[in-house]
Amino acid sequence: MENPGEGTRNGGSFAVSCEKLSFTYPGSGRPALSEVSFELRPGEYVGVVGPNGGGKSTLVRLLNGLLRPDSGRVRVSGRDPATEPFEVRRHLGVLFQNPENGLVAPFVEDDVAFGLENLGVSRQGMRDRVARAIRAVGLEGYERREPNTLSGGEKQRVALAGLLAVEPEILVLDEPTSMLDTAGRREVLEYLKALRAEKTILHVTHHLEELAGADRVLVLNGGELVADETPERFLSDANLLRENRLVLPVVPRLALELGLPPARLRTPEELAEAILARTESGTRAR
Amino acid sequence: MTSRTLGQFYPVSSPVHALDPRAKILATAVFVIGLFLIDSTAGLLFVAAALVTLVAVSRIPASTFLRLLRPVLFIVALTILIQVLFSREGVTVLEWGFFEVRSGGLRLGFFLALRILLLVSSAGLLTATTAPVALADGIEDLLSPLKKVRFPAHEVAMMMTIALRFIPTLGEEAEKIRGAQAARGADFSEGGPLRRARSLVPVLVPLTVGAFRRADELAEAMESRGYRGGEGRTRYRELRFRKQDALALAVTVLVLLVGILL
Amino acid sequence: MKLELKDVRYVYAPGTPFEVEALRGVSLIVDPGEILGIVGGTGSGKSTLVQHMNLLLTPTNGEVLVDGVNARSLKKSELRRRVGLVFQFPESALFAPTVEEDVAFAPRQLGLDEEEVGERVRESLRALGAGELAVRSPFALSGGEKRRAAIAGVLAMKPEVLVLDEPTAGLDPATRQELLALILGLRRAGISVVLVSHDLDEVAEVADRVCALEEGRVRAVGTPAEVFYREPAQAPVTVRVSSLLKGSKPEIGAPVRFRETLDALRALQGV
Repeated sequence: MENPGEGTRNGGSFAVSCEKLSFTYPGSGRPALSEVSFELRPGEYVGVVGPNGGGKSTLVRLLNGLLRPDSGRVRVSGRDPATEPFEVRRHLGVLFQNPENGLVAPFVEDDVAFGLENLGVSRQGMRDRVARAIRAVGLEGYERREPNTLSGGEKQRVALAGLLAVEPEILVLDEPTSMLDTAGRREVLEYLKALRAEKTILHVTHHLEELAGADRVLVLNGGELVADETPERFLSDANLLRENRLVLPVVPRLALELGLPPARLRTPEELAEAILARTESGTRAR
Repeated sequence: MTSRTLGQFYPVSSPVHALDPRAKILATAVFVIGLFLIDSTAGLLFVAAALVTLVAVSRIPASTFLRLLRPVLFIVALTILIQVLFSREGVTVLEWGFFEVRSGGLRLGFFLALRILLLVSSAGLLTATTAPVALADGIEDLLSPLKKVRFPAHEVAMMMTIALRFIPTLGEEAEKIRGAQAARGADFSEGGPLRRARSLVPVLVPLTVGAFRRADELAEAMESRGYRGGEGRTRYRELRFRKQDALALAVTVLVLLVGILL
Repeated sequence: MKLELKDVRYVYAPGTPFEVEALRGVSLIVDPGEILGIVGGTGSGKSTLVQHMNLLLTPTNGEVLVDGVNARSLKKSELRRRVGLVFQFPESALFAPTVEEDVAFAPRQLGLDEEEVGERVRESLRALGAGELAVRSPFALSGGEKRRAAIAGVLAMKPEVLVLDEPTAGLDPATRQELLALILGLRRAGISVVLVSHDLDEVAEVADRVCALEEGRVRAVGTPAEVFYREPAQAPVTVRVSSLLKGSKPEIGAPVRFRETLDALRALQGV
């Protein structure tokens, strides 16, 4: 593994680098994270999966300085989150799982401004950035809405806007759609997709279909990094999936059973096409 | 999902609603003090007339405003009753068995009742025309000079804002938990006061535990967004003290002076 | 028991500016021993509907009938024992120091003697695969464990109908599958299950019948195939794939569950 360099904003070596990261929660018998090493290059979109309790949430909190590692090294945009958390949080924003408990303020636009207020941005500067962030998540007109009147998907979008207003280069998403219904999930994913081009994204999730188009997928189980693969190789490895309590979504599962490539078929339309193509040509795919 | 306006805020636009919350808070404070300096019923009536005008200007429907006064009706009635029954001043107006109703009692009762109503009305007008968030801002601003004596003005304001944000949420949560326990056979209306209090345990415990968990998650989210206390923090919402606000304060003081003199 | 909703209409906060007609005349039957899936988007009225089944909410118009008798004429405690309702994220209502204490709450409220209560607690926890959680504190459990404990708490009433509002919400896919298997187990034990879910794939796997709600009205009700194939764009993935192929390959039929869809697709390819 290459030396994690001093990643800088302008596409230096790495946006995020972890070297032999270990952490045990006080009072717990076993380590939550054990010698985990990986890098995120600027602009990459990397997924993180694994069973509950496997270390995913711990990793997120070590990256933004909420937790301090017992051993090992973390660098985010060249800085150590344990010693410079405030600086790191300018460059790395986290979208948490619970849409309700991330919203601080009684109104949408005030909540979106929260991060900017913390940074001491001038009022004039805030107005523009808040407006832009609200637009980026499609919530124009919602500025004076109260959080308890919003749907789950809308709440997560507000939280996302709050992150975007600060303009971090790196986004860490900690199961952002787990508590949402189908419609809410679709909304949030739509806006997240648009960000892939400009941000470096680390996406922790249980829903493997959300990682379509990821550059890589990391698998964390029992605190250890057990795999760092491309989605293609990852989705085709039935053992890997089973050992880590991962469930293939319906389309790739059907594909796999039918002998079609699971990683390349994500939507019902794609699957139907592939099946038709095969029956028409009358030959097998493999 | 409906918006339950918090407390008594009545969201319309009116000149009163548009006033700076600091002016309104100060005016209310001055008003309350002034009320106790008025010693004539005529004075109170004059001030009452001014207040009624103000309520009209604030576009709050009379029915809504009167609803704000409902909680104190009992105290008002009690006050009048006590004065009426036990005052020995003035001439006897009515006799009813053991009790004597005297004009002095009636007058004093009316005076005290009117004062109570005016006190509650002024507070009610304040909360009805000022969004909770604006109130919190106003209070924070007014308290901020106290930062010099180490008073945690920012923290207090932050607590108020968070409370305002979560009260509707916690309310819904409480409803939901009540429903869940009712579905398991819990009965909140049966039995004496002790029994009823105990029947609330299955609601209060989870609500409290849940609130602590929320607080944890919220703290994490706030920290993650760069929160580190009030140092170096700017504020998105703006409070601008304008001519209207100074005028409103001046008018309040004037009205009270007239009342005192009457 | 046969649970029936007849033309139920429900209005929230009538006469206030927040008035909302959540249900606009819903008629529905839950037959004994079946799993009825209720689907619909946000605002369709699913949660409101479900709270009528044990009369936590009473209809503004219309009636709720239990075996032909108006539910209002039954004792509330009796009704709520026979129709057990589990809210969404039910673990937020866990309150006792141990799981077994919490599960014992409902049977105790029914006035059963301690021996019977203990038996019920053991049975319910076992039915949810949560036997070993009995002495643990509910607040120290994982999300999936808490969910099981909460459902056991309602099951301990031995209801004839168990209504589950989004029972798998927020759970990871592996835990979801386990919970669905347990739900199927309940049906086998003779309990009718009403399953409210936004996850169509999940409903496709377990439901005997489906009711689709839209804006407070029943859009469609019938077998899963009948309801889902009517609107294939808003259907489980299996139905979507099959409908796309129906045009050129009508022999595919109308499969809904994963296994039968897989078999139908295999047959297409002459496997």
